[in-house]
Amino acid sequence: MTKNKGGICLLVGTKKGGFVFTSDSKRKEWRVSGPHLKGNEVYHMACDARNGAILASVVSGHWGPTVARSEDMGASWKESRAPPRFPKGTGLSVARLWQIKPAPEEEPGVVYAGVEPACLFKSKDWGKSWEVNEALMNHKTRKKWQPGGGGLCLHTIIVNGKRPGRMHVAISAVGTLRTDDHGESWRFQNKNVIVGDQPNKYPEYGTCVHKLAINPSTPDVIYQQNHTGVYRSDDAGEQWIDIRHNLPSRFGFPVAADANDPKRAYLAPLEGDFSRIPKDGHFAVWGTDNRGKEWFKLDTGLPEKSYYTVLRDGMVSDLEDPCGLYFGTTTGQLFSSRDHGNHWQRISDCLPPILSVNVSST
Amino acid sequence: MIRVRLTAQLRDYARGAREVDVESAADLRTMVSKLDQSYPGLGGRIVDDQGKIRPHVNVFVNSENSRELKNENTPLHDGDVVHILPSVSGG
Repeated sequence: MTKNKGGICLLVGTKKGGFVFTSDSKRKEWRVSGPHLKGNEVYHMACDARNGAILASVVSGHWGPTVARSEDMGASWKESRAPPRFPKGTGLSVARLWQIKPAPEEEPGVVYAGVEPACLFKSKDWGKSWEVNEALMNHKTRKKWQPGGGGLCLHTIIVNGKRPGRMHVAISAVGTLRTDDHGESWRFQNKNVIVGDQPNKYPEYGTCVHKLAINPSTPDVIYQQNHTGVYRSDDAGEQWIDIRHNLPSRFGFPVAADANDPKRAYLAPLEGDFSRIPKDGHFAVWGTDNRGKEWFKLDTGLPEKSYYTVLRDGMVSDLEDPCGLYFGTTTGQLFSSRDHGNHWQRISDCLPPILSVNVSST
Repeated sequence: MIRVRLTAQLRDYARGAREVDVESAADLRTMVSKLDQSYPGLGGRIVDDQGKIRPHVNVFVNSENSRELKNENTPLHDGDVVHILPSVSGG
């Protein structure tokens, strides 16, 4: 198996295939390959740090969704022989694959995938075959789940990494759930998350979580970008604290956590729910270095005027020091920063609409 | 014997073959199931999780679209030729 040792691998999923950008540890010069899996929407890609394989969530408009796997940095791909599929008789059918997440080193072969309609799938053989998480599929509240604008999707999977069996998933527009028993049972964790103008402003579920992010060294600290605000939890999702403060807007999709400093996090705010463009036509990443007490604009190197939109999986941080940040836009621009957002460099200006950006140190 | 003609995008599942044979199948549902046993993954590209023909896939039995017949329950007979094609859609 080929591994791109000592560098950075940037995986960009687009509406017209996937692209793989590679660089050395300086993160200055990038080589690109792709489009991979042409003719397909590649929603998300992940590099499995355990073996260097790339996994991709693939959706064909004609032939439906599947997972594809490459062991040679995208030169060739193999589809799962038993891709994520709901059991017969459930009435459910996988419409789209969202985030794909290799498990930590302690769980060899395990990979997770989120799907629409919202559910979690697990592979025990490195992504070759998949089985549904029955506890989520049969969750007692499932019939009351409402879709968000992107569908009823399970779009975020966080594996705690320090506490075996603990995972978080996020579903639009249902909210955040946690398991502490390897997915045997799930409970909602939406305390203090507001849903807006509804009779019950703080329901147990029915909140529109857009994205969650953690620093792997402090996995119980979770940052959340929600439809209605920005939150942080310091207790593995038990309670959420409103940290919007001086942000230009409470609305946006992605959130990234700094791998070196758990007090740092990054957002890409949009004007609001009914105007999903940057405020005043000026896109900027906003960061905090004190856990969301204050936010500052990070726009050096970004255009003065732009209507960039970054989707929920379109911004990510790497594990380097200083932390690198990357974002891709729905208009095909790909930017990186080698100094946690202080300066931005344009990597590409002409990709298809970008659905996701993921990064791996290899 | 049922002869199944595969569109180009599906031939990788059948090691590049343009057409494959299914020994016998009472209906399209059974034929897809047998195809998937011989060529893992192929069935899931033709039908969804519940066994329904995907909305942008056309399956012709001889020259008739299965949607005008009985969809997945369309009966098959020895000597039938089945064409699996992407629909002209999306534009």
